[in-house]
Amino acid sequence: MSVSFNQISKVFADGTVGLDHLDLKFDKGEFIVLLGPSGSGKTTACRILAGLEEATSGSVKVDNLEVTSLPPRERNMGMVFQNYALYGHKTVYENIAYPLRIRKIDKGNIDNRVKAIAKVLQIEDFLDRRPSQLSGGQAQRVAVARAMVWSPDICLMDEPLSNLDALLRLKTRTELKRLHGDLGQTFVFVTHDQEEAMTLGTRIAVLNQGKLAQFDTPRQVYHEPATRFVAEFIGRPAMNIIEGEIKDCVFKSGPFELAVKGQPDGPVALGVRPEQIVLKEVSTDESVGFNLDVLELVEPDALLFVNKGDTSLVVRVMHDIGDLDRGSEVHLEFPDHARHFFEISDGRRRS
Amino acid sequence: MAMVATLIAILILFLTPYLWIVMTSFKTRLDILSDAPVWFFTPTSENYPTIFIDKNYLPLVWNSMIVASFSTILSLAFGTPAAYVFARFEFPGKEDLFFFFLTTRMAPPISIVVPMFLLFSVLGLTDKPIAVILAHTTFNVSLVVWMMRGFFADIPREIDEAAMMDGHTRGGTFLRVLLPLAAPGLAATAVLCFILSWNEFLYAFILVAFEGRTLTVGIPGLVTPHGTLWGQVTSVAVVATLPILFFTFLVQKHLVRGLTFGAVKG
Repeated sequence: MSVSFNQISKVFADGTVGLDHLDLKFDKGEFIVLLGPSGSGKTTACRILAGLEEATSGSVKVDNLEVTSLPPRERNMGMVFQNYALYGHKTVYENIAYPLRIRKIDKGNIDNRVKAIAKVLQIEDFLDRRPSQLSGGQAQRVAVARAMVWSPDICLMDEPLSNLDALLRLKTRTELKRLHGDLGQTFVFVTHDQEEAMTLGTRIAVLNQGKLAQFDTPRQVYHEPATRFVAEFIGRPAMNIIEGEIKDCVFKSGPFELAVKGQPDGPVALGVRPEQIVLKEVSTDESVGFNLDVLELVEPDALLFVNKGDTSLVVRVMHDIGDLDRGSEVHLEFPDHARHFFEISDGRRRS
Repeated sequence: MAMVATLIAILILFLTPYLWIVMTSFKTRLDILSDAPVWFFTPTSENYPTIFIDKNYLPLVWNSMIVASFSTILSLAFGTPAAYVFARFEFPGKEDLFFFFLTTRMAPPISIVVPMFLLFSVLGLTDKPIAVILAHTTFNVSLVVWMMRGFFADIPREIDEAAMMDGHTRGGTFLRVLLPLAAPGLAATAVLCFILSWNEFLYAFILVAFEGRTLTVGIPGLVTPHGTLWGQVTSVAVVATLPILFFTFLVQKHLVRGLTFGAVKG
């Protein structure tokens, strides 16, 4: 089974562009994460797949079958909403059983399936309660159970974790990952949290302003971001970007200079992840001296905010660095594999 | 304390006339017409049987029930789906159309009653309860649309979407999921429609004259050339208020919420 978005565009009634010619294709069993800031079109893409929103142009295919204009009920997908959208007038049991009742499954079968999914999600003890008597985490699990109980081909989740507190979010995240492994259904998960995306996704679709910026595995998205936007959006603290110019194999930005190989001359944005900058105790041939502005200890890590002229960088050091005074000079190396070059004009990665 | 005192004052102001009506319905003609108000008297039970059995006013209660019930059902049947559409869909001229529903109630009722009478006589419906039912429905529909829109807007959109993902059509979502969730609001709106129709006099008076008369129309018949039969008038009035008392207490919580909510949010 495969799902494909073909040139999907969405323009809302007020003229805002939700999606701009989106192309996306993925296979059965994947855990696809749609990641982007608010207004990037990630939720719109999910809702168009669900059939809750109509695409302005383009087509959506599931198994080569055109589903673009099918109503939600004919698409064989379940969905978990951000605010859970449980039916307040029904018990938890009836909430979960509801998709089966609508589909006229016989009673005994309904009971078996509700109890089975309740067991998987550990909500067996709450089946007689009303949604208003549940905690956020419990309500969230009930919503997942309702979306999955009838074994739809695809399970869609629109920011399902964002209403949970931090600790519960981590726990539920792990549970979702396990659930995906156990059930083998296709998951499409919408989030603005890059950490969620990195841990959950088999592949991440990074969206920006209605366009697909990159669609790749978390590893690739991290190590080889396709655009400057992706580079800055993935990873915390965010990647350092220094705008400058390359001339005769030297990258120059104010007083900051760095020897680079194999890059054509011209203006360029250099990106280096804070955790890939190497802190040296003494000056070396390849190191560059920076002034230490602020030192933040986030045990076991240390964050160094350094500057040289107008260039400010964040460096993340994952070992004990002893005492460093404000204003003292630090020596930083930028290994070859840690350097990313992006065009100034359109933010694309230089090949 | 000041709050309680104010409330008591308001209660006295509003309840005294009603208590007076109840008392009058149990008084003899002599007590009613005495010069000084009579607070203590020997109650008589002659007024109620006289008016409802001897003068045969009992069928009027039945007529009022029929008219109020059916106009309420019709108003809800037309108004609720419209309110749902107003709460959920965007279309050109939506707010104008919504306001138009309200403007139908802005004209003084008496200005429309004659055209409506002519309309019904062409259709051959005068002096039949259905004429009053339809007339009351025309002005209750707008009330339903305005009140129910607020109640539907109060239900998160995601509930509709969840129901559609779970396998419902748009219609199924409305009937099976939204209506049960909006039931308290629906009940409050129904009660308000019922009361308005039950109390309505002008249209009922013009459109039916004999068999189909409602309770409100029956009362002026007791103002005779020989004097007003106050004992019987108040007896009818007391009976006429009983259903309203009952329904209002039943849904008063939702009623207040529905009125303020619909008005503010609409």
